[in-house]
Amino acid sequence: MFLNIALFEVRFWLRSWMVWIFLFIIGLLVFGAVSSDQVQLGGALPNTYHNAPFVIQNFYSFIALLTLLMSTAFVNSAALRDFSNNTYQIVFTTPLRKFDFLLGRFIGATLISVIPMLGVSLGILLAKYMPWVDQDRWGPVDWAAHFKSIAIFALPNAFFIAAVLFAVAVLARNEIISFVAALVLLTGYGVAGALTQDIQNEKIAALLDPFGSRTFDLVTRYWTVAEKNHVSAGFTGLLLWNRLIWISVGCLVFAVAYSRFSFAERRTKAKPVEPDAQDAIRPVSVTLARPQLQDAPWAKFVGSFKIHFLGMARSTFFVVIAVASLLNCIPSLALSATEGYGNQTLPVTYWILDLIRGTLYPFVVIVITYYAGVLVWKDHDERMDEIADSTPTPDWISYAPRLLTLMIMVMLMQSAALLGGIAVQTWHGYHRYQLGLYAYELLVRDASAFLFLSVLAFFIHVLSPNKYIGYFFYIVFLAANAFVWRPLNIATSLVRFGSRPQEIYSDMFGDAPYRAAWDWYTLYWLIFCGLLAILTIMFWPRGKQDRWLGRRRNAAQRFHGGWISASLLCLLAFASTGGWIWYNTEVLNRVVAPKTQQRLQAEYEKTYKQFEKKPQPRVRSIKYAVDIYPESRNMVMRAEQVIQNPFAQPINEIQFTVDPNYITEIEIPGASLSKDDTKLYYRIYKFDSPMQPNESRTMHFTVKSKNRGFENSVSTVELVQNGTFFNNAIGPRIGYDSGRQLTDPNDRKKYGLKEIDLMPPLERNCTTDCMDTYIGLHSDWVDVQTVISTSADQLAIAPGSLTREWQENGRRYFEYKLDHQSLNFSNFMSARYEVAREDWNGIKLEVYYDRQHPWNVPRMMNSMKKSLDYYTKNFGPYYHKEARIIEFPRVATFAQAFPGTMPYSESIGFIANINKPDDIDFIFYVVAHEMAHQWWAHQVVGANMEGATVLSESLAQYSALMVMEKEYGRDMMRKFLKYEMDNYLRSRGTERLKERPLITVEANQGYIHYRKASVVLYYLKEMIGEEAVNRALRKVIQQYAYAQPPYPTSHALVDALQEQTPPDLQYLIKDLFEDITIFSNRTLDASAQKRADGKYDVTLKVEAHKYKADAKGNETEVPVNDFIDIGAFAKPAKKMQYGDTLHRERVHITQKESTLTFVTDSLPDKAGIDPFALLIDRIPDDNTKSVTLVGGK
Amino acid sequence: MELKITNLSKTYRNGVKALDNVSLTIPRGMYGLLGPNGAGKSTLMRTLATLQEPDSGSAFLGEIDVLRQKDEVRRRLGYLPQEFGVYPRISAQDMLSHLALLKGMTNARERKEIVAAMLQRCNLYEVRKKALTGFSGGMRQRFGIAQALIGNPQLLIADEPTAGLDPGERNRFYNLLAEVGEQVVVILSTHIVQDVMDLCTDMAIIHEGKVLFQGAPQNAITELKGRIWERSIDKPELAHYEEKFRVVSNRLVGGRPFLHVFGEELPGEGFLPSQADLEDVFFTKIRHWN
Repeated sequence: MFLNIALFEVRFWLRSWMVWIFLFIIGLLVFGAVSSDQVQLGGALPNTYHNAPFVIQNFYSFIALLTLLMSTAFVNSAALRDFSNNTYQIVFTTPLRKFDFLLGRFIGATLISVIPMLGVSLGILLAKYMPWVDQDRWGPVDWAAHFKSIAIFALPNAFFIAAVLFAVAVLARNEIISFVAALVLLTGYGVAGALTQDIQNEKIAALLDPFGSRTFDLVTRYWTVAEKNHVSAGFTGLLLWNRLIWISVGCLVFAVAYSRFSFAERRTKAKPVEPDAQDAIRPVSVTLARPQLQDAPWAKFVGSFKIHFLGMARSTFFVVIAVASLLNCIPSLALSATEGYGNQTLPVTYWILDLIRGTLYPFVVIVITYYAGVLVWKDHDERMDEIADSTPTPDWISYAPRLLTLMIMVMLMQSAALLGGIAVQTWHGYHRYQLGLYAYELLVRDASAFLFLSVLAFFIHVLSPNKYIGYFFYIVFLAANAFVWRPLNIATSLVRFGSRPQEIYSDMFGDAPYRAAWDWYTLYWLIFCGLLAILTIMFWPRGKQDRWLGRRRNAAQRFHGGWISASLLCLLAFASTGGWIWYNTEVLNRVVAPKTQQRLQAEYEKTYKQFEKKPQPRVRSIKYAVDIYPESRNMVMRAEQVIQNPFAQPINEIQFTVDPNYITEIEIPGASLSKDDTKLYYRIYKFDSPMQPNESRTMHFTVKSKNRGFENSVSTVELVQNGTFFNNAIGPRIGYDSGRQLTDPNDRKKYGLKEIDLMPPLERNCTTDCMDTYIGLHSDWVDVQTVISTSADQLAIAPGSLTREWQENGRRYFEYKLDHQSLNFSNFMSARYEVAREDWNGIKLEVYYDRQHPWNVPRMMNSMKKSLDYYTKNFGPYYHKEARIIEFPRVATFAQAFPGTMPYSESIGFIANINKPDDIDFIFYVVAHEMAHQWWAHQVVGANMEGATVLSESLAQYSALMVMEKEYGRDMMRKFLKYEMDNYLRSRGTERLKERPLITVEANQGYIHYRKASVVLYYLKEMIGEEAVNRALRKVIQQYAYAQPPYPTSHALVDALQEQTPPDLQYLIKDLFEDITIFSNRTLDASAQKRADGKYDVTLKVEAHKYKADAKGNETEVPVNDFIDIGAFAKPAKKMQYGDTLHRERVHITQKESTLTFVTDSLPDKAGIDPFALLIDRIPDDNTKSVTLVGGK
Repeated sequence: MELKITNLSKTYRNGVKALDNVSLTIPRGMYGLLGPNGAGKSTLMRTLATLQEPDSGSAFLGEIDVLRQKDEVRRRLGYLPQEFGVYPRISAQDMLSHLALLKGMTNARERKEIVAAMLQRCNLYEVRKKALTGFSGGMRQRFGIAQALIGNPQLLIADEPTAGLDPGERNRFYNLLAEVGEQVVVILSTHIVQDVMDLCTDMAIIHEGKVLFQGAPQNAITELKGRIWERSIDKPELAHYEEKFRVVSNRLVGGRPFLHVFGEELPGEGFLPSQADLEDVFFTKIRHWN
């Protein structure tokens, strides 16, 4: 019987359009995401086939979040249809069993809820056959992945969702409460995600995810591209447990609903009060005062606002969504306020603002979308229109109070979040309350964007024949506005509705660099919205017009007097602000659309790549005179540069690539400009008499910023009112700049360029190919001298010792000179700095910081000292007389080492918050890393070929680890390396090109040269000893520090390390540097037996597998023949993560399974193979196991 | 002040001719607009209430051009639509006060008094703080009357105002209207003949967008004098009678059909002369027998 009911339910829905529309929507979203690079759904696609099993399963794992509200409609109707249609009196009086009825309806609704999810398969299957997709990026159709995903995700998720919603519907019998429940489910899901995002409790998070999406993430996080292309996850492990848990929960919830459901009619509400009908209209004649009727528009305005405001404030849906939005926002604030950038930070206001935007604004947009329709159609829907429309009210009074109501509601939501933000800051003990910033950012900046949206939504609804068409066109418009401009290659914000320049707020400069453009664009769109508002008022529906002609005639009737002048005024203002913006952005400056930019890059490569290897003069020394004008964001850099011909042949021309954002003038005595490519910014000068071998000449160049008016988007964000930071790369670069080439293989294909490796292949014993460093710039070690000036209230800094400082014409001047020849890599900075100064063995340590960010300066100083201690002792001397850390605005989030000078972003250390003893001291680590670059990069620098960054980044990473280990101990390193390993394993699965072994890493593969290198070099140090590693490094320094070309390659390091490695460990060199080696070690059993002498015999049964992976992640198992640690730990003390090490021993493992024994003094808590998780292993947690005590003799 | 309607026509997009060259002159006092459902009454009412544009024709309230000087009309208008709803979650008092404000009563104190008095008068005072959405049909209708009367309109348009009211309430409502109607133009549209008979000094009958009659109800009845006949028959004979005679109306009396038949002379055996009433006028008019 229940089958009949279920089938009836299914047939009922299959005949309705709703299911098919939902299927179409999901199908379209997925279709767009896999067939076009512009559309994204849940993030960018990985570098796999677009129809890889992983892609299919990933979509299925989270699609339930999108179909949740659709399911609500089905389930609700299945459960409540009889009540809302009042057919229950008929249905429930039939001899129908409750079991059949409920289960049938429930199963029917569940099955129907699956249909929209099938849009994933539909979209992916269809997209493969579209003519515009690149078939190289598509694999064979994997039906198994589709069916598995439906079984693992679609059905269980539909079941669970249906169970919960069915229970709510049956118990509450109220549609709104059902939708609230769905929203609560959604927000709860988000909050739970925020709560459990740390690596420490990822397993719990994976089990607690009712949709299995995070479980899928966790299970597949270390999958390589090859695995993602060929493997699909099945009902195993965590995923199996998760599914079992949530199917059971679903059953339980349904059982509860079942037991509480009754066919009986609820006690309905008491009938509305009806006073004595006999007395309905009083015959008593109450004398009415003759009222004075007035046209008082403002009083009507205020009164109307009150009525609409009350109506909205009291509506259940608004209260629900407001509460849901705050439930999503405030806990996220509390939890993530200190989680910025993957580490602990202080809850600075701009960070809180970003969190509010991320968590609250999706709801605000929903409120605007929904309530714009409700408010416009309110009179019509409530059938109040005839009464209200026949009152003597001006048309604008129907409009303005409603718009105001919506805006006030939005601003109230924002204000609640604002108060939440302040409360959270207080709770974290942070008391720098920037109320003005909060108010401006939320209630002016963001609220104005919401105003644009609201005005637009009202306009579209007023022109629509009904509410639903209004919603449809509004959403279509927003989607088009977001997605259509890029494919059309239009970048100007003048045509993209409501668009204004992106900006990054910094404590150092506020929003000053962006402000002018932002203000003008805001004015422009405000006026446009004014025009829309006038049109909206003219077409505001009044009375019953069945024809568009009538509406137009009405509008024409209304359009008179003040409205005409207001419209003309607006039009005039719109045209003139538009013209002014156009003049500023397109005449004074230029807008380069993304595709144009790519085309220029491709053209540059096609035209000038031929000159890449052409011999060019090299830079020997530079004298800079830099003038910075912070208030106008301008800069002039003049340079005198000595160039030399190091080759055996004469050079007859010199070529330059110049920066398009600056005006560059080049003066070379005895040379003339023979080609000036103003489109691709390339210049060729011919020497009148060729430069002879070893001949030196002096040339001059001037680089001027051209900040005039304002730009569509700020291009020279390095020049700001406070916190200027640029480097000498803006100057003319000698020769062809391979850094301008397109790198993405798909982009290259589009422009007919061959796929290339980003760096030349690694060579052993190379000479001619190693004459340039990977930093480039056609220079070796150079002398640099700088005179830099800035406004009187700022300090200006360049590399080297400060030799002179003076004031002239109300400006400050500083002269710096490098203490030692260095890389041709100089930074120029200016801001209002505080300076902390200390001394380390005669070297000046300085931290230049913003007055608002004093917190971590002592830690930086400490790290600089500890770094100098370790590096000078173990590597070699420090050649500068100063070491400086200089804060710069968070337009970029990195720290970078220049000779003796380290610019450091405001956002990655200056606002970090290290307060718990086991927090990783991120600041200390970054400073130690940058300090290490003074040896690794600034003394020893790699030749421009694969593996170059091993000599700089990897060694800086190793050096920083050593300093950190000395300062914080071994346990901290275990924690740190766990994050490094996790990062490496995750990132290799998203590699877009090839994963390379460490020795041939490319300069942009940070996950290898930082993350993997940390793990690998620390492991090597554990195996051969710190002193052996450092001996090798000293050898590299001695041989290559400040040496003339040819420059060293990664072989230099690996060879030196190999020399220091004992014969039995030689295999390590190949495993760690030349191959991609992955282990899968685990302990099957660990037991201990007490001995007569009170010690314990510990027996381990372990498994060890070793794999080698290729560039795409295909793995081959190789025999194990490795020395691996085994060991045992005591129970950790309270609040400690790791227990004392009771035993550590290195054993030679040659089999996949082995049994090992050792003796400990006390009873171990855990024991196992590779207990410190030093080897690269995807599941380090199963390396150790809790020890079971077995009976003694 | 009188309302003068000249040659008003309106055709809907679906081709329905709602008003076909309607001309009426409506003096001060109660004016009945009688017609079956779909006759064009509501279209005419809405046009007079400035809510709809006719295709052609004109309407003047005194000197005011109803079709052009909409705001002037609205200042003098009280309108009770045939169907209306109210904002959810708003009390009767707040809603009435809001509408009073929209009509121009901007003085808060004065508005409060008038609203209170009007609520008293329509016997909604006890429930003034309740949300209107919880009101019964009768209460809601009384609210409609209250809002139409507030602001002392000079033109009061009530479209099927007694729908949903019980007989007692209907009577009292008419008393209220009659009281107001002495000073202003009151247009009452209805399909209930008795209402017009009881209340109106003047009336018009509209059918399919055309005015079939206009004048005093009594005149219309007089016209029919001696042309209406009645008799009671057996049920099975009904079809035969309807075919053979011009049956104006039939209703059951004691379980047997009781017919009114139109005819210049005695239609046949068994018929007796009948006292013509407005209902007979209405039905003969819309069938164009008269």
